[in-house]
Amino acid sequence: MRKKGLSLVTALSILSALVWLAGLAWVLQDQFFADNINRQAETLKPDTAQQQKEDSSGKTLQIAAIGDSLTRGTGDPDGKGYIGYLKEDLAKKTKKRIELTNSAIKGQTSVQLLKQIQQPQIKRQIKNADVILLTIGGNDLFRGGQALEELESKTINKTEDVYLSNLKAIYKKIRMLNKNGIIYHVGLYNPFSDMQDSKTTSSIVRKWNYDSANAAAAQPNIIYVPTFDLFELNVNDYLYSDHFHPNKQGYQLIGERTASLIHFREEDQK
Amino acid sequence: MSQSPALSVNNLRKTIGKKDIIKGISFDLYPGEVFGFLGPNGAGKTTTIRMIVGLIKPSSGTVLIGGKNVQTHFGDAMKDLGCIVENPELYSYLTGWENLEHFARMDPSIPQKRLHEVVELVDMGNRIHDRVGTYSLGMRQRLGIAQALLGDPKLLILDEPTNGLDPAGIREMREFIRFLAEKEKLCVMVSSHLLSEIQLMCDRVAIISKGSIIRVDSVHALLAEQERVVWKAEPLEKAESLLREVTNVTRSEGHLITLYDENQIGNWNRMLVTAGVEVKEMRTKLPALEDLFLELTGGEHIE
Amino acid sequence: MNKLVHNELLKLFRKKRLFVIILIIAALVPLFTYAQYQEVKTTREKLGNVDWRTQLQQEIVDTQNRLSSSRMQDDWRKYLKIRLAQQQYYLDHNINPQAPGAPTFMRVFVENSIDLLLPLLVMVVAADLVSSEASGGTIKLLLTRPVKRWRILLSKYLALILSVSFIVTASAVLSYAISGVVFGYGGWGMPLLTGFSTSGEELVTNTVHLIPQWQYILMEFGLVWFVCLVVGTLTFMLSVLLRSTAAVMGIMLAALIAGAILSNMVSSWESAKYLFMVNLSLTDYISGMATPIEGMSLGFSLIVLLVWAIGGLVVSFAVFTKKDVY
Repeated sequence: MRKKGLSLVTALSILSALVWLAGLAWVLQDQFFADNINRQAETLKPDTAQQQKEDSSGKTLQIAAIGDSLTRGTGDPDGKGYIGYLKEDLAKKTKKRIELTNSAIKGQTSVQLLKQIQQPQIKRQIKNADVILLTIGGNDLFRGGQALEELESKTINKTEDVYLSNLKAIYKKIRMLNKNGIIYHVGLYNPFSDMQDSKTTSSIVRKWNYDSANAAAAQPNIIYVPTFDLFELNVNDYLYSDHFHPNKQGYQLIGERTASLIHFREEDQK
Repeated sequence: MSQSPALSVNNLRKTIGKKDIIKGISFDLYPGEVFGFLGPNGAGKTTTIRMIVGLIKPSSGTVLIGGKNVQTHFGDAMKDLGCIVENPELYSYLTGWENLEHFARMDPSIPQKRLHEVVELVDMGNRIHDRVGTYSLGMRQRLGIAQALLGDPKLLILDEPTNGLDPAGIREMREFIRFLAEKEKLCVMVSSHLLSEIQLMCDRVAIISKGSIIRVDSVHALLAEQERVVWKAEPLEKAESLLREVTNVTRSEGHLITLYDENQIGNWNRMLVTAGVEVKEMRTKLPALEDLFLELTGGEHIE
Repeated sequence: MNKLVHNELLKLFRKKRLFVIILIIAALVPLFTYAQYQEVKTTREKLGNVDWRTQLQQEIVDTQNRLSSSRMQDDWRKYLKIRLAQQQYYLDHNINPQAPGAPTFMRVFVENSIDLLLPLLVMVVAADLVSSEASGGTIKLLLTRPVKRWRILLSKYLALILSVSFIVTASAVLSYAISGVVFGYGGWGMPLLTGFSTSGEELVTNTVHLIPQWQYILMEFGLVWFVCLVVGTLTFMLSVLLRSTAAVMGIMLAALIAGAILSNMVSSWESAKYLFMVNLSLTDYISGMATPIEGMSLGFSLIVLLVWAIGGLVVSFAVFTKKDVY
């Protein structure tokens, strides 16, 4: 019995030594000597096209969120952001299962967003979405918290032009991918409305919002959600300690307002 | 002793750093004899034995086992050697039999039936199939000898073979060693720091101290040379002072001890009697090797 | 020589070393399986979505978010960028890197145990291969046989190679068999990407190609086998040099753990890449993970390990055949 066990182990060991040696040899061959490298890399085409429309039928509400730190939820200690509160509000209203994908990236500008939505997976999400949530432009305009007064109106105009052309491209791209989904573009507020130059800054933000809303109107089913008024009074009560991002209360305001715009058919309501 | 020696050690030296551990040892051993290798702990016994069996490389000198040089023809030399160096340390997680199989596999010239022979020889019986971890020291000693005898050696080296054995075990071991030498014609080399042991089982003895051999001779010759006289006399003090004038005297427990000198012993007795000392007892005594050793080494101590 | 190797294997076998190692693996694998299962489950719950593409996209977005944070060390940023490029590649090519299944678990298991767990198990076998003979005194019986010393050591080394092979096989079989209960036994044919290399900040993908998972796993186990042999050889050397098995284990353990720690902090100490313990994570090269020190590559690590192993063998044989045994 003992002897058999030992012989078995020995035979097995010898066999495995050979197998692993072969594995090692294969590594060398594969990693160093393969001349036909790259042959397969391109044969596998992205087949995302086949994956479409898998779950956009009646039972679920698909939400795709893209954009910058506002959509990410920066400043909310719970990390929900307006998206989270919006989802909670919607859940109260509907029987549908809500599926949310949040692809927002902190500090993202309109250029970067335009690039991001070219990615196949983001495309797929947008394609499948019933609702598309979007925040963008804050980083173009404020450059991560710089006071507006430092900018001359000329530079601001130039920045805005770039932003607007990007925005239009983004709208167009989304529309191309998804004809029917409703886009909610959450607008900008003025985080500096309690400061000395609030008049100047507010007017810049107002103009920015106005132009964005115009661009949105040019395409079907794009709702430009204003937030400027929410933060106009008592702005400090709604801002996070960085005086730039909303805090929990601020996000709740945005979430409630956006949620109120999303409508359900009677049979889907609770 | 005209046979060729079973073991021949020539001018063996070992130097570690600048220290001479072994300072040029030479001796020859012949088949059929039990050779004692005697010295206090630290005298170099074990180092010498390890050089003989090839565990330690000598700094100079040669060791020939059955005429084959351990340094240059290790394999051939080892075929004629069986040994236990220090304790019989075997694999405690294997059975005695597996231990023997293990060592037998290392020498292709050992036939399978030799295993049964050696087990028979050391009288291990059924215990051979128990794990060595469960053996008593005596059992392990026997198994040690069994493994040493596996290769049917001409020379058997046992380092302190009776160490740790009980009196019955010591006696058994002694008889077994004599049996191997007389009946199997083996040459057995036994090291010990216990003089009584060597005295009882060896034919010849080499006495080693501080890395040199002081003397190699037969046990009988050594003892005969050192015969003494024990005196019991009244009054002891007077007898002692009188004897001191003519010879060396040691006093112990109410006795006086002098050397045995056949020519003088009558005169000394007469001298004492005429001086009015009453000589109550006079007897000769074979000394223990202890005394011998003290004398040879000039007072180095030994158990 | 056959008989000598047989002897050594017999001793290993009867000391129950291999048995203990199998037990250890058999005890750990269910643990990891459960952890992996929980991880898959919680990610699914968190996303409320079972589609791995969404999950991977989420990971990409998370990574991008982390990258945008300003307080980040350069090497970490670099690592994230490489990871990002790789994840994007998987996504673009519709390849699920986390597809559940026992083969995938095997792969993850072996990638995570190559630098510590498996070397430790090998150490258990190798540490007392010689030192136990020295400390137990049996070396005196072993070396007074009509067999040359180098042959005895070689037989021990061959036994070590066989045991290492056995351990690697045991971990492969056990991780497959046990995790398959939970994850299912399929997934051998899933295509995986390999051939990533890094050059500075860029993930070089022009050598990237696809191989089926079974080949990928075979390759990774080949590398694990190699790493285990190297660690085994070095432990073997220490076992020759030192009498005490505990000391051998202590030194090896310290070296392996130091390697695990160093890998995370040596990015600016360039010459550390010549230490064997920093080079153990060979599978990272296959899967395209960032190297701890710039300039390290699969070839480099293989050569470093090989040099260490050869050095260890030379020392072992030189010392063992010459040394005086007391």
